[in-house]
Amino acid sequence: MPPFARYLLHTLFPPDVLRPTEVGADVLILATGVIIMVVMTRRHKWRHLWTEWLTTVDHKKIAVMYLIAAIAMLFRGGVDALMIRTNLALPGSPVISASEYNAVFTTHGTIMIFFMAMPFIFALFNAVIPLMIGSRDVAFPRLNAMSFWLFAFGALLFNMSFVIGGSPNAGWTAYPPLTERVFNPGPGENFYFLSLLIAGIGTTMTGINFVVTSLRMRAPGMTLMKMPMFVWSALATSTLILFAFPPLTVALLMSLIDRLFGSSFFTLGHGGMPMMYVNLFWLFGHPEVYIVVLPAFGIFSEVVPTFSRKRLFGYETMVLSIVAIMLLAYGTWVHHFFTMGAGPTVNAFFGLSTMLIAIPTGVKIFNWIFTMWGGRIRTTVAMLYQLAFIPTFVVGGASGIMLATIPADYQFHNSYFLVAHFHNVLIGGTLFGLLSGMYYWWPKMFGRKLDERQGKWAFWLFLTGFWITFGPQYLLGLKGMTRRMYTYPLGYGWHTLNVISTLGAFVMGAGFLVLVYNIVYSMRNGERDLTGDPWDGRTLEWALPSPAPEYNFARIPVVYERDAYWDMKEKGQTLANSLTVRDVHDLELPRNSSLPFFLGLSFFVVGFGMVFSWWIIAGLGFAGVAACLVAVGFDYRGPKRVDAAFIRGTEVALGRLRA
Amino acid sequence: MAEPLINRADPESEEAEAEGALAFLRPRFAEERFPWIQVWGYGGSLVLTLGAYFSVVRHVLAPQFLVAAILAMAAGQAALQLGVFMHLRESRGLSWQIVPLALAFFTALGMIGMSIWIMAFKSGVS
Amino acid sequence: MSLELAPEPGRREDLPLELSDEQESVKITGFWMFLVTDVLIFASLFSAYAVYRPRVATGPGPLELFHFGPALLETLLLLTSSFTVGIAIYEMRKGRPGGVMAWTIATLALGAAFVFLEIHEFASYAALGATWHQSAFLSAFYVLVGTHGAHVSFGILWAVTLLVQLARRGLTPVTARKLYTFSLYWHFLDVVWVFIFTVVYLMGKIA
Repeated sequence: MPPFARYLLHTLFPPDVLRPTEVGADVLILATGVIIMVVMTRRHKWRHLWTEWLTTVDHKKIAVMYLIAAIAMLFRGGVDALMIRTNLALPGSPVISASEYNAVFTTHGTIMIFFMAMPFIFALFNAVIPLMIGSRDVAFPRLNAMSFWLFAFGALLFNMSFVIGGSPNAGWTAYPPLTERVFNPGPGENFYFLSLLIAGIGTTMTGINFVVTSLRMRAPGMTLMKMPMFVWSALATSTLILFAFPPLTVALLMSLIDRLFGSSFFTLGHGGMPMMYVNLFWLFGHPEVYIVVLPAFGIFSEVVPTFSRKRLFGYETMVLSIVAIMLLAYGTWVHHFFTMGAGPTVNAFFGLSTMLIAIPTGVKIFNWIFTMWGGRIRTTVAMLYQLAFIPTFVVGGASGIMLATIPADYQFHNSYFLVAHFHNVLIGGTLFGLLSGMYYWWPKMFGRKLDERQGKWAFWLFLTGFWITFGPQYLLGLKGMTRRMYTYPLGYGWHTLNVISTLGAFVMGAGFLVLVYNIVYSMRNGERDLTGDPWDGRTLEWALPSPAPEYNFARIPVVYERDAYWDMKEKGQTLANSLTVRDVHDLELPRNSSLPFFLGLSFFVVGFGMVFSWWIIAGLGFAGVAACLVAVGFDYRGPKRVDAAFIRGTEVALGRLRA
Repeated sequence: MAEPLINRADPESEEAEAEGALAFLRPRFAEERFPWIQVWGYGGSLVLTLGAYFSVVRHVLAPQFLVAAILAMAAGQAALQLGVFMHLRESRGLSWQIVPLALAFFTALGMIGMSIWIMAFKSGVS
Repeated sequence: MSLELAPEPGRREDLPLELSDEQESVKITGFWMFLVTDVLIFASLFSAYAVYRPRVATGPGPLELFHFGPALLETLLLLTSSFTVGIAIYEMRKGRPGGVMAWTIATLALGAAFVFLEIHEFASYAALGATWHQSAFLSAFYVLVGTHGAHVSFGILWAVTLLVQLARRGLTPVTARKLYTFSLYWHFLDVVWVFIFTVVYLMGKIA
């Protein structure tokens, strides 16, 4: 074998990725890939895929792509979780080794936060924000596609580490010196830093996009205080993204150049300070917590009024509290490292600011309860997730207050109590919210409802599984079990609780399978939504047919009231019966572009080259990025014109216009 | 191809908002025959830069006051750039950029100040 | 009462060219939001610099390392370039593409001189053995100042493509918007540099 080939084989396939589990997974990935290729080729779908999906700038299609990615990543993160739990149920004979376990909990956390929660949120933002505010697209449709492709290629790069080179293994927070090159020489952490940098650029651009969309693209008459709460939550979330992702970018970049180019930011020698990474990381990390939970708050603020058939209680205080959370979220980051020893004054300040967040959050909880009070509640799946969210999130929040109590935190820190707490808020808050939103807006995205009976099965499995998993973990934490241990001695009284927790995790896994079945079943057999308004909704997206036509609104209505569509329905004037042939004019829509895809691909090449320090490949990638940017600059093709006759035809076919 | 419509007035919503609490975001435009503002801005920035430079070289103040003085001059220059050159108050519709930008400068100050405070490890015994 | 329909947004002739088209004006708001993220990128770098400034390990500290000469010259170059790009936008508002072209080229020349000086400055420090490997202070210095330099370099390349577009297409709402966002970018880099000059160079000389 020539030395070059040997080097290549050794670099790409170190022993880490040649364990039976990995090789087995590789075979499955390969087989799935081949099957998809064959099916696509047989059905001549490649052109369709390229023109309709990969080059699209339509926010509704980008939403679908985000959603598919999020569910795929939920699967991978979930499998990681089951591996973790299996190991902990069998302390005597661990199934996976310590080093493998490190990789598994690292990828579990990273994937769930960056590649599951974030794209799931962007899926829902993309799917409904433009429809809710009466707009034909987001402010920057092509940038939106770029964001998606940067995310997608970032996720690809991250997941690739599993197959070639070796996974990152320093935890989802990637603290130095665990990531310092001397202690962690493989390419795993390079995968982590580069993929998060690439996906992070995309996320920042999404943040910019939705801030501007909600500030500048609203229908006439929709003042700030008439925006639906979900739009408010998108605005607050996106603003937080603008403020939180830069410190992350800087922290990742510094770690990367420490590793690749020998600078001394977070090294142990040369005056470097690993704790500065922790400081910068949580400057991002704490706002990130609210980046993922505020959208859930927004979703509930839409779901509760619809299924209680009442307007949202205390809209003004809801707005005020979401803005307060947004501002406070930026002043609490030290509570992630009270034990670093910055001193009592620093800790006291951040302990107090953390507890303050409970006030606006409490306001929101009460407002949702008061909205339901005296309403005619329908317990659809979307509403069930909301009903489960309130107690679950309150418990998570209360344990958060316990963690914010500094002397107690010295006991809780890095224990399973903490693990239980943040899963309590992330699953009980974010995931329940996102699933609620998925069930609520699914008909708007796909034109069919998700089957409610199956959805309820999935819900109950999730909810009971959740409590069986994480309830015992609080107790484990109090019994002294710390996070990230791959096994433990039997005599500590941890075993039974761990076995219960693992059972719960498998119940959640079953819930996921039912959810997937529910989706697959409903794609073909779900109840068709022919009215565009299956839930008797209140906001503008329900004024459109399901799914909305490419141009969303043939004409954009003027908005007078907060629940714009409810107001229209009360006046008996909706888009479905108000348009006449004369109202429909030619429209301009953004033109599809392949540049976002190629930009993402170029960034992927840059990342791949840098992971292995193959500078020629990285250089080619940079050239590709530059070429894409220049091409963007010189792209003077105007918007695509959609002529009135076509729109009239579409509207007639949808039964919205008398021919 | 249809002619693009020409609207003279702002959309109704923005007018309504500009009347109320958001009046401070109403855009303003400067008309000028000669770029006097730019010339003054340039002169001002030169004065502030050289002022800061010479006050450091000549040690005109005690160190802590000197630091405060040159930071204040830098802030003055930033304001000059934003106000004079960057047309901060111009926009179509409301000048939304003012709010996030103000928040960004506030956050930047907080981030730097807090980081120094936290990373000093000096607030009492740990 | 029938449902009221909004008119499609059209051109506004009473506004400057770069704001006259609704779509293009939205992009200016978007660019401001990008600048917000850039403020925070530099804030993070400044935080690191502030924390790392005393951590010189065995390497030189700011007092020994920096010279005022190049730093002051770089500052004056960048301030002047900020003025010239301001005049370019003034010319743009007057509808004179020739003036825009000339003043933008002047800006680029000044920017290129700035970058050249900065590279020279870095090289002279590196020649003394003051590389970023040596200490956390030097790492923070090079990355903070280098990020700014990279922004300026990117700005120069960007403006070159804009000049080509301007020459080909003249002043349109699109080219005007692009030039306007470039000017925002350039002035913003000037603001950042003023703080670098103050915090890194001037405060480096205050014991």
